[in-house]
Amino acid sequence: MQDTAQSPNQQDVNSTSNTKPEGKSMIEIDDLSFSYDQGKTNTLRNITLNVPEKQVTSFIGPSGCGKSTLLRCLNRMNDLVETSRITTGQIRIMDQDINAKNVSAIELRKQVGMVFQKYNPFPKSIYDNVAYGLRIQGIKKKAILEEAVEKSLRGAALWDEVKDRLKDSALGLSGGQQQRLCIARTMAVKPKVILMDEPCSALDPIATAKVEELITELRQDFTIVIVTHSMQQASRISDRTAFFYLGELIEYDTTEQIFTNPSIKQTEDYISGRFG
Amino acid sequence: MSEKVSNNNPFCQSKGGKRYREKLQKAFFCFATYFVLLCASVIFGKIIYEGTPVLWRMGTDFLTQKPQTLAVVEAIESDSIEIPTENFDNILRSNDDDALPIDNVEEFEKSFPYKRFNLMPGSIIGEGYLKNLEQQNEGFFLIYTERDTESHVGFSIDQEKSLTLKSPDFEKLKSLTPDLIPEKITQRHITLNDFKLTIAQGDYNISKTAHDALLPTSLVFQMREGFADDDPESSQKPAIIPSTQIITVDSNVFFTAFDEDEEGTLALQAQEELPQKTTFYDFKLAAGNYSAPLAALSILAKTGIATQHNLTRGSIIVNLDEPVELELSSSDYENLVANNPKLQLSAIADFAKKADFTRFSLAQDAEIRIDSEDLEALNQANEKSGNFKTNSKNTHSYAGGGILGPIVGTALLVIICMIIALFTGIAAATFLNEYARKGAFTKSIRLAMLNLAGVPSIVFGLFGLGLFVMLAPSLTSTPHTESKLSIPLVPLASTPQLRIIEEKEIHMVKHKVSTSEAIVAAKSESMKYFHDGWTYLSFQGWGTCMLAGGFTLAIMVLPVIITSCEESLRAVPMGFREASLALGATKWQSIRTAVLPYALPGILTASVLGITRVAGETAPIMFTAAAAERSDMPWEAVQATGFSAFIEFLQQSVQALPYHIYTVAGRIPQSEYTEPMQYGSVLVFMLIVMSLATVSIWLRLHFRKKIKW
Repeated sequence: MQDTAQSPNQQDVNSTSNTKPEGKSMIEIDDLSFSYDQGKTNTLRNITLNVPEKQVTSFIGPSGCGKSTLLRCLNRMNDLVETSRITTGQIRIMDQDINAKNVSAIELRKQVGMVFQKYNPFPKSIYDNVAYGLRIQGIKKKAILEEAVEKSLRGAALWDEVKDRLKDSALGLSGGQQQRLCIARTMAVKPKVILMDEPCSALDPIATAKVEELITELRQDFTIVIVTHSMQQASRISDRTAFFYLGELIEYDTTEQIFTNPSIKQTEDYISGRFG
Repeated sequence: MSEKVSNNNPFCQSKGGKRYREKLQKAFFCFATYFVLLCASVIFGKIIYEGTPVLWRMGTDFLTQKPQTLAVVEAIESDSIEIPTENFDNILRSNDDDALPIDNVEEFEKSFPYKRFNLMPGSIIGEGYLKNLEQQNEGFFLIYTERDTESHVGFSIDQEKSLTLKSPDFEKLKSLTPDLIPEKITQRHITLNDFKLTIAQGDYNISKTAHDALLPTSLVFQMREGFADDDPESSQKPAIIPSTQIITVDSNVFFTAFDEDEEGTLALQAQEELPQKTTFYDFKLAAGNYSAPLAALSILAKTGIATQHNLTRGSIIVNLDEPVELELSSSDYENLVANNPKLQLSAIADFAKKADFTRFSLAQDAEIRIDSEDLEALNQANEKSGNFKTNSKNTHSYAGGGILGPIVGTALLVIICMIIALFTGIAAATFLNEYARKGAFTKSIRLAMLNLAGVPSIVFGLFGLGLFVMLAPSLTSTPHTESKLSIPLVPLASTPQLRIIEEKEIHMVKHKVSTSEAIVAAKSESMKYFHDGWTYLSFQGWGTCMLAGGFTLAIMVLPVIITSCEESLRAVPMGFREASLALGATKWQSIRTAVLPYALPGILTASVLGITRVAGETAPIMFTAAAAERSDMPWEAVQATGFSAFIEFLQQSVQALPYHIYTVAGRIPQSEYTEPMQYGSVLVFMLIVMSLATVSIWLRLHFRKKIKW
């Protein structure tokens, strides 16, 4: 359980804006509504929340509540869905509206990396996987690449396990290692924010523990937003927790507050396992 | 008790009838399945049974020789027949050993006298002698730019020849070459009728024969459209006589052009016979070498003296920067020197070329199967001794030799087709799968592709004929007169060389005229191309060539390629694209590095299967690329250099294996002699296709093992 400093303001239902995060906020979501079908139905409705810098924020909620959708809005992965629209509101990352015309999604994604639910290393060597992000930026110098690969793998606590077989196929690694490799791959590009979409859902408990440990360490350097199904996981690793239900943000507060003293009944019902 | 119970059980069969019916049903389905097997085994069995002996007998020669005409000759028994060993081996292979009464086989080395010499710039040479020089000297191709009509040309007469000339010709000849004509001349006077004709003004149809006869006369007439060389003699075209004319023609012309039995002749208002006394001169020329002015030789040519000089255009002036070393067999050399008085040669040296020959004797008259090339060699080798004689000769086209030409042609077609199809197909599939919005547009494209896949291949053939053979645009400085549209682009074209102008029949526009005027002028001279110093974008098509065939095949196979490429692309997990994009890759970067490499194995497999389909198509290439007969390899015919050589290479028709099979099996008269070629070709073709299919299966298994995610 994280020991977090928080401002105890738990009164208002939807007044997450009142929840003043400590430190600078990295991501500011302001009255965001989002639709997958050209605005006919809103998958997300009027979300407002701030993600503080260098903390772990977790999104919880039952399936289909829009937490992954929100995550994918943060690095504009939803651009891939042609019919998707942001109907109201905006997202600001580092005080910049990321959907503004002058923002390049490609440059944004270099700053806001993403780790996916199903670990998806390329069928290449471990080394090539980690170096991929740098290579597509046009970096070809071997020394730079090697240094970045080692640093990222060390950062992802994978270096000791794979240092002797960097040239082997990444598909030969175990599931947990593959997921950490994906984290290392994301880290190599040196993003400010790492978004994780249920990173442990396909892993066994031991691999999950390792990834969680890693996430805890990464907090020092990165702002992390994690979507998880496991409430235990959220309570173990995150500083702040947001609870979503049916496309709406129900409650957003420090993790401790959410899990020990939720201000809204729905939240309490969910975390105590009465539904969802 | 137990029996009774079992009988009462609802799942016990009371009768065997149902089981019997079930067996019948099973037998029916079984039969249907085995019918397929039966068909397959009959087809394959027949091909293998008939084809294997052919391949066995012919060995690799079947794959490395060009198709030839097979001659079946009845040879008369004879001693010491000589033949190059290589050809002798071919004969042995083409015939059953037992059937040939060959004795006293003896190998020996025969040497042929050759001359080596330097051909000096500025020499004057008859056009007909170039062929020998270029054949015997690989890489020698003389591009001449000037002709000479002034200087004397040579000709030889093998044996004493009697000549008859009419008086005007004779007198002209006498004035041109007084030395040539011998002293002993006899005169004959014969009276023939000339005709004085009055021809009315008007529009007429005249036949080609009449046209040709009237051309040298003084009649003024105009053709809307000239006759082509290959038009039949009796074909008719409209002619205009602009005014009523009175002409005098000799009896020959009269009876050809105004014969009343023929339709479409010119209407005569009046005709008058003018008896004309003609004097004929008879004289004899002894065997030997002569030289005479070109004009004299063209008079002599009317009496049937053979010459290898071009009598209307004159001799060629050798246009070289420096002397070229050439070689020629002695007899050809002597012929060349004797008949080209203005030839300048230097550094003439004798040498001998040796070749392996075989001498054999035929113990009795025998029927021999022999390829045309071998027969030619055999005749040539025994020309002097006269030892090889035949009673009869039957020829069977395409039945001899091997199938190198068709194999090479099919390979070239497939390569061109696959380059085009893969390039376009992968690009289109990438667009459809990665870029295009899913909507009505992609749906309509997919529908179009489905329709395209269902179009019969003959339709593709006709489409290719219309589009690529006859309409496709090409950049050229010598546009075709039949071009659908010629757009002048830049006035930069290099002037074609005289040799090219003559070979391609190019009309050279001397004065600045418009394009349409140039075309009319070229047509009136019945030239196929024109050149006015501009580079044109001409919609004249590429002609029947492998490029047109490759494009046609590519369009035919595109739906298959696109569909399978799309499938391969779709099989690449979405996660790769997302991971790549999430790392800051652009769309194209992610496709190039994270999608295409993993789709490539599937694309490769599909394309190998595409190859087998393309290789087997006959209908699309029938009108667009395939030649039934072609004696040289496509690269042997290329004369240009650099990039234009590449273009010229692609603009040639080729033989193709399926078309060859069609020709051999369906278009020529069948006989026992043509059968081996049929079955051999089919077996080879089947082996090629099956090995490609095997490669495809192997590739799929290999990649499936290697790449998984």
